[in-house]
Amino acid sequence: MIERVYDVFARKHRGDQLAHIGYVDALDDEMARVYAWKTYDEENWFEMCVIRRSNIIPVNRQDGPFSGSKGEGK
Amino acid sequence: MKELLEIRDLDGTGISALRRLILTLADSKRMMGIRYSDWLLGAPSIEAGIAVSSMAQDEWGHARLLYAMLKDVGLEPLKIEHERPAEEYMSVGALDGAFEHWAGIVAAMTVVDEAISVALLGFSRGRYEAARTRVPKMLAEEEFHASLAKAWYRRIAESSSKARSLLRDSTKGLLPPVLAWLGADDEAAKAMVTAGVTKSSESMTEAYRDRLRDLAALVEVNIDQVQPDSGWDKDRARGPGCPDEDAVERVRGDRNRALLVE
Repeated sequence: MIERVYDVFARKHRGDQLAHIGYVDALDDEMARVYAWKTYDEENWFEMCVIRRSNIIPVNRQDGPFSGSKGEGK
Repeated sequence: MKELLEIRDLDGTGISALRRLILTLADSKRMMGIRYSDWLLGAPSIEAGIAVSSMAQDEWGHARLLYAMLKDVGLEPLKIEHERPAEEYMSVGALDGAFEHWAGIVAAMTVVDEAISVALLGFSRGRYEAARTRVPKMLAEEEFHASLAKAWYRRIAESSSKARSLLRDSTKGLLPPVLAWLGADDEAAKAMVTAGVTKSSESMTEAYRDRLRDLAALVEVNIDQVQPDSGWDKDRARGPGCPDEDAVERVRGDRNRALLVE
């Protein structure tokens, strides 16, 4: 079973901008949802979402935190 | 909205039945929490360990809210939580022992936690005000438990034959005591249905089978053919046996009794 990296974004209040708050390793999207909610539970988030890192497409640089190893790096 | 239940309108049978219903839910929640807590450091990944840690906290929080309802029916929650022997626990028998492997706790997450949620859903839609107001938040938190359970159940079902076999055996072992617990149809259970406090055992069992049918089929378990355990103990609302002593000592906080502050 291969885990993938999912980046976690959240905002505390309606109207706030989504902020990158961390990442989780998970076997699939459903596990990533739960892991993110349970791992980053220090706030009463208004909204949280996860995205598989490999689905993030770098725009202006290839050495950013989300572009390592075809999107699967940490 | 249904007319709310007035506790003073319940007769002796009704009060006993409501005590039993609250206790069986609270004790099952507390034992579910203990079983999750066993895996804080042994889960397959850090994230899975954090998740079961959080789920253990959820279960204990839910149990605490349920025990508090006992005040309405003349029982002191503090004594109930900290002074009963294992033989008096009313938790579902499927949680009596620790789970030896990850497939076992995933099966419990799926088979047992889901059954408790179905029972709580029936309770939350009845006439008892405390259940109507407090249980919906529990059920919202339980949605994450169910999501994780289903995701892991599918993963293990699709993995090696050994893991799949462990999941199948665990599922087969857990279902009979759970079906006996959820399908209880004795006098006290009927009294709660008649009083509008909860749903009928038939409807809850049907809803439960519907929720689990496809998942169980992944490991060749036909949930419609599984029979509930026999040997129902109506006084404890469960089958024979009781939780292991080590777990109950942890539940009661025996080792730190001197520090108990309430």
